[in-house]
Amino acid sequence: MIKAATLFWMFLATAAGIGLFVLKYEVKSMEGQLATIHSKTLENLEAVHVLKAEWSYLNQPARLEDLGRRLLSLKPVKASQTVDIEDIPFRPVGARGGQAANSSLTNPNPPAADQVPPLFAKIRRKQ
Amino acid sequence: MIGRQPLFPKKRRREPPVPPRVETGRSRLLITGALFSAAFLVVTGRLIGVTMFVEKSQPQYSRTVGKAALKTGRANIVDRNGNLLATSLKTASLYANPRVMLDTREAVNKLASVLPDLNRRQIHKKLSQDLSFIWLRRHLTPRQKYEVNKLGIPGLDFRDEERRVYPSAALASHILGHTDIDNRGLAGVERHFDDNLRKNNTPLKLSIDVRVQHAMRKELAEAVQEFRGVGAAGIVMDVRNGEVVSIVSLPDFDPNLPSDIEPDTRFNRATLGVYEMGSTFKIFTTAMALDAGRVSMRGGYDATHPIRVSRFVIRDYHAKRRWLSVPEIFMYSSNIGSVKMALDVGVVEQRAFLQKIGVLHPSPVEISEIGAPLIPGRWREINAMTISFGHGLSISPMQLVAGVGAMINGGIYHAPTFIKKRVGSKTSGRRVISAKTSERVRRLLRLVVAKGTGRKAAAEGYLVGGKTGTAEKVVGRRYKKKALMSSFVGAFPMDAPRYVVFAMIDEPSGTKKTFGYATGGWVAAPVVGKVIARIAPMLGVRAVDEKAPEIEREMAIDIVTKKEGKRRLASF
Repeated sequence: MIKAATLFWMFLATAAGIGLFVLKYEVKSMEGQLATIHSKTLENLEAVHVLKAEWSYLNQPARLEDLGRRLLSLKPVKASQTVDIEDIPFRPVGARGGQAANSSLTNPNPPAADQVPPLFAKIRRKQ
Repeated sequence: MIGRQPLFPKKRRREPPVPPRVETGRSRLLITGALFSAAFLVVTGRLIGVTMFVEKSQPQYSRTVGKAALKTGRANIVDRNGNLLATSLKTASLYANPRVMLDTREAVNKLASVLPDLNRRQIHKKLSQDLSFIWLRRHLTPRQKYEVNKLGIPGLDFRDEERRVYPSAALASHILGHTDIDNRGLAGVERHFDDNLRKNNTPLKLSIDVRVQHAMRKELAEAVQEFRGVGAAGIVMDVRNGEVVSIVSLPDFDPNLPSDIEPDTRFNRATLGVYEMGSTFKIFTTAMALDAGRVSMRGGYDATHPIRVSRFVIRDYHAKRRWLSVPEIFMYSSNIGSVKMALDVGVVEQRAFLQKIGVLHPSPVEISEIGAPLIPGRWREINAMTISFGHGLSISPMQLVAGVGAMINGGIYHAPTFIKKRVGSKTSGRRVISAKTSERVRRLLRLVVAKGTGRKAAAEGYLVGGKTGTAEKVVGRRYKKKALMSSFVGAFPMDAPRYVVFAMIDEPSGTKKTFGYATGGWVAAPVVGKVIARIAPMLGVRAVDEKAPEIEREMAIDIVTKKEGKRRLASF
C-alpha cells in the first residue's frame, strides 16, 4: 500500500518536472518569436514612418498643382459648375435607360427633355 | 492439546501515571504542529492567491512585451486633415575616436573623397587632438553613410540621431517655426509647444489646411512679384470658432535648413509685424457707431470740408464734397465721415470698444512671434479721430482679422487659434456687438465689393464682402510717402459668413495694368478674390446665384443721398 502511494507520487513529480521543462522551453521559444516579430514590426513601423514623410513630401500642393496642370486636362472648379442636389431633375419616366429602378425616385411630373433648368443646361453645353 | 491460551496473559494494566516530562513533550509537539499547519495554511492561501487572482504588485509580462509602437523624440505636427507637416526621422551622425585612428592624414583624404565639402585642414586639426570623441558630420544621408562605411577607416563610427523634417518645406514655415540641431524648438509652434512635443507621442493637430495655405501663399507670391513688393501677409480664419485655416508671411524660409535662414525672412508679418491698418479700421468705427445707436443706416454726416485739427488736415481720398450717408461713407471710404462718426460715439467708448474686440492686446495665438500693438499713451480726441480711419494705432494683421470676424459672424469674438478644436467642443466667445449690427456690417461689406472700392475681390457665386485699406508706412517718426501697405480684408459668403480672408502687400508699386495705383483695391483685393475662388469649393462653401432675388434682397441697402436739402433714396 505504501509502495503504491510512493510510486504514484514519484510518477507525479517526474511528470510535473518534465511538464515544466517542456513548458519552459516552449515559452522561451515563443518569447524569442515574439521578440523577432517585435523588432520586425518596429522596423516596418519605421519604414512606414519614412514613407509617410515621403508621401507627404510628394503630396505638396505646389507639386500636385504643377503635375495636374501638365498631365491632366482638368481645371479648378468654378462656382457656375456646381449645382445643388435639389436642382437636379428626376429622370423622366420612360426616358432612355428605361424605368428608374426605384420608382420613388422618379418625378411623377418630369420636365420634358428640352426643358432642363438653365443651370443644368449650362453644364451640358460645356461638355 | 493445550488450551488456547493467550500468548500474553491479559493483565489488567493500570494506566500508569503520565510523567510530567512526557506531558511537556506532548504539548510542545502540539504547539509545533499547530505552528506548522498555520504556516502551511498561509502557503496554501498564498498559492491560491497567486495562481487565481491577479495582484497589482505582480509584474505584468503582457504589458512589458506590449504593443510595438514607434517612439520618436519629438511628436509629429499635422494639419487639420492629418497631412504631415513636421516629423522626426532617424539619421546617422558620424563621429571619430582619434585615439583609435591609425593614420589621420589618410583618413582625412579618404573622407574628403566621400564628403567633398568637408574642410580638410579643420578636420585634420580636430583629429590630431588627444580626444576620444569628435563629431565629424551630423545627419548623414543613407548613401553617405554607406560610402563612409565602405571606406573602412578604423576609429570612425555612427551614432543614431533624429532629425526634424518638414516635408512641405517653406509652405507653413512661419507657423511651424523650426528646431536646432539638437531638436529644440526655436520658433513658431515648435517653440510654443516644445515641452508637449517632447513628452507626448501623439501628433499635434494644427488648424491649418495645407491646400488653403498653398492657395494663399501662391496668390500672394504672384502679387508680390507683379507689384514688386517687399513682402506680404495673408490669413484665412474660420469666423465660427477662431480657427486659423491659413496664415502666410512672405518672404518665408525652409525650416529644413535652419542654418541657412536669412534673418529678414524670419519676420512674421502676419503676427509679429504691427502696422497702421488704414481704412479697414472703418469696419470697427462703423460697427461701433451703429451698435451704440449713435447713427442709423439712413443717417449720415457732412463731408463737404476737410477737418483741421492742430497741424493736421483730414481729407477724403475719394472726396465727394457733400453730405454722405453711412453706407456712402463706408463705400467711398470717407475719412471725414468716419472721424465724425467716432467723435459722435466718444473717445472713452471707442477705447473700450477696441479693447473688447482684442485690438489693444497682443494676439493670443500659439506661437512665440507675436507683436504687441502700438497704442497711444494718452487717448485724446485727436487720437480718436485718426484711429477712426486706422492711423495712430498699429496692430498685427492677426488682430485685425480676429476683430473683423467678430463684426460679421453675428457679433461674437472668438480668440484666434492655430490648434484644431475638437469636433463638438463648445466654442467659447464673447458677444461684442448685437446680431443686428453684425448683419448691417455684412451688408456694408458686401456693398463695397458689389459697388465700391473692393470690386476686384469679387468671386462669382461666393458673395464676397470686404473693405480695402491703404496706409502709408511709418518709417522712423514720419510717413514714407511712396511706401504703402495695401491690404484688403474680405469675408465670404456674406449671407452666412464662414471665413475671413485677409491679404496685405508690403510696399507695392503700381503697374500699367493698375494705372499706376498700388492701393488696397488694386493690389490686395484681387488676391482675396482669387484665393476665395480657389478655396471655397475645398472648404465646402456652397455657391449661390448672386443675382437671385432672395439673395439680392438679403444684401440690399437703401442709400440715402441728399442734394440741396432733398433726400433721395437709391437702393443697391
